[in-house]
Amino acid sequence: MALEIERFLHTERLPHIWCPGCGLGIITAAFLRVVVDLGLEREKTVVVSGIGCSSRAANYLDLGTVHSIHGRALAVATGVKMARPDFTVVVFTGDGDGAAIGGNHFIHACRRNIDLTCILFNNSTYGMTGGQTSPTMALGDRSTTARHGQVEPPFDLCRLAEAAGASFVARGTAAQARLIERLIKQGIQHKGFSFVEAVVPCPTEYGRRNAQKSPLEMLDNERARSVTEAQAAKLSQEELAGKIVTGVLHLDENAPEFQQVYAASARAQAEKAGTRVQIDVTQKPPVGEQK
Amino acid sequence: MEQWHSHLLRERVDQSSLLIQGNRACALGALDAGVTFFAGYPITPSSEIMEAMAEELPRIGGVFVQMEDEIASICACIGASLTGKLAMTATSGPGFSLMQEAIGYAIIIEAPLVVVNVMRVGPSTGRPTAPSQGDVMQARWGTHGDHPAIVLAASNVADMYRLTMAAVRFAQRFRTPVILLADQMVGQMRESFSPELVGRYRLTSGDFDFTPGYIHPELAREVRPPHVLGSDEHPHVTGLFHDETGFPTNDPDKSNEFLRELYNKVAHHRDELCLYDVKNEGKGRVCIVAYGSCARTARAAWRLAEYEGLPVEVLHLYTLFPLPVEIIQQVARRVEFMLIPELNLGQYAHEVRKMAEQWTTVIGMGKIDGTLFTPRELLDRIAELIGKYESV
Repeated sequence: MALEIERFLHTERLPHIWCPGCGLGIITAAFLRVVVDLGLEREKTVVVSGIGCSSRAANYLDLGTVHSIHGRALAVATGVKMARPDFTVVVFTGDGDGAAIGGNHFIHACRRNIDLTCILFNNSTYGMTGGQTSPTMALGDRSTTARHGQVEPPFDLCRLAEAAGASFVARGTAAQARLIERLIKQGIQHKGFSFVEAVVPCPTEYGRRNAQKSPLEMLDNERARSVTEAQAAKLSQEELAGKIVTGVLHLDENAPEFQQVYAASARAQAEKAGTRVQIDVTQKPPVGEQK
Repeated sequence: MEQWHSHLLRERVDQSSLLIQGNRACALGALDAGVTFFAGYPITPSSEIMEAMAEELPRIGGVFVQMEDEIASICACIGASLTGKLAMTATSGPGFSLMQEAIGYAIIIEAPLVVVNVMRVGPSTGRPTAPSQGDVMQARWGTHGDHPAIVLAASNVADMYRLTMAAVRFAQRFRTPVILLADQMVGQMRESFSPELVGRYRLTSGDFDFTPGYIHPELAREVRPPHVLGSDEHPHVTGLFHDETGFPTNDPDKSNEFLRELYNKVAHHRDELCLYDVKNEGKGRVCIVAYGSCARTARAAWRLAEYEGLPVEVLHLYTLFPLPVEIIQQVARRVEFMLIPELNLGQYAHEVRKMAEQWTTVIGMGKIDGTLFTPRELLDRIAELIGKYESV
């Protein structure tokens, strides 16, 4: 398997820029195992990322990769997917990129239920800029912009995604590489907007300011805090505090997917107008082949 | 003119020369040029472009998406552009401000794209229903860093059609975003128009190549190979400075080469990019240099001047950037004054002054009250300048 995922890596660009103990590589490798497992075509698989540590993953993948601007990966990916519905489009983003500056695009991509898979690497900090407070940082946690503790409550991104209309919502941690692999695979296979939150450790910028000095300690901590949805259902609100609920948290297979609805509407309009345009959303892009 | 598709807007126009709104003419030009992707966000006074595209694109097999804001709109266009589709968005001042970062991204990744800005009075919310030319320098320098810019300015409904086509062509040829400036008056006015009557720049579809990732053969040296997602190269696209492989570089020599090439691919093609029109060539002591709705006033003033015996010529600029240095200097050498009426406080007059002041006196005329100049206002100023004013 190790060799197989190397087919999709720009190995000449390694070593990567991530710090020792970073969890991003675990998730990226899990994603690549899914690419191999599903037999995705290199030419038809596009990874769109924003800006930040997580988004740098796009630099190492030998797929169609778009390293876009801060917060806008989902908007760029929407354009790619609408223009080429036959592509598998995966978005790599982080908690700052996806939930702060890109929060608007996030909820609207969920609402549209467009067939994208969004993998959000949540390390609760802005790693690349030096460990500032992120919108998923827990109350009381310390950062370079909250030396005395974070004073704002964090987002629960999975609940946000579900409420906004995402039809597949899941969460895993870097401590559960096989689980996250399964979730990403399910997300890519799911027709509709799939949101996978990957909780990852950032020992350098987050851990050392919050009494979690070693990467191993952080992974152990993540594993210890993880509960499945079934386990979570039996816990009281107090017992749930600080826990990471993992697994598929929401799945709606009947939710109308944006491109299907768009194609049906376009087909009806074309018929009414008498224009002869081939629209077949399941196989081909809704854009008629250009001359 | 070879039609690769037909659309209702076109059919309606074909029936006769119709009264059509500037914004709709823009949409028509885009469709005729082969634009198949439009993403936008409503804003006065440009919304009609989006409305027309929303009506036309789905039924001809194109894509229309209304996004959550202008940033998302231009980013979706960039995404589509990366797959080889011709993409366009349209907005006005506040939305144009939001798009600036992404415009820079499109420039650096060399994604062809058309951005139409139907200008309204700013800054901020300003006066949404009044014309202005206040975004001229923003169109040139709005995004951060040194960068090339192609900026066109439409002055009437026919311009909205043909300059949109020109914008698409330039975007494809130079693989960069092209900005088309109009203003509230030009965008929302209605004029008699027929696509067949606007062939002056030979902007027929024969000049366009619809192949995804097309590079004009003459530009192959300067324009880097396109990044087309879905091609065999499975490219990497990044807003970081990158070398010919597409991957980031911090090498000073490569960085230098990268930005200079990016800049020069436009700067070195002014002859092709600079569209203009000279009226009464060589017969004026004063030249009115104008663009957009002010050019209409300038043309009317010139006709009036002929009648009144004032020696006036008009340089009507359709391309504002890259700067049409050659024609401006050529005219500057032969006239005593250059008068530049603008619906702003002299943004373009500063540019012209830099190029022309060693030969002539450059006089800016600014108006920011949301109204247009009248031909009489221009003539009065001209008469004053050449000392021929005879009051009745």
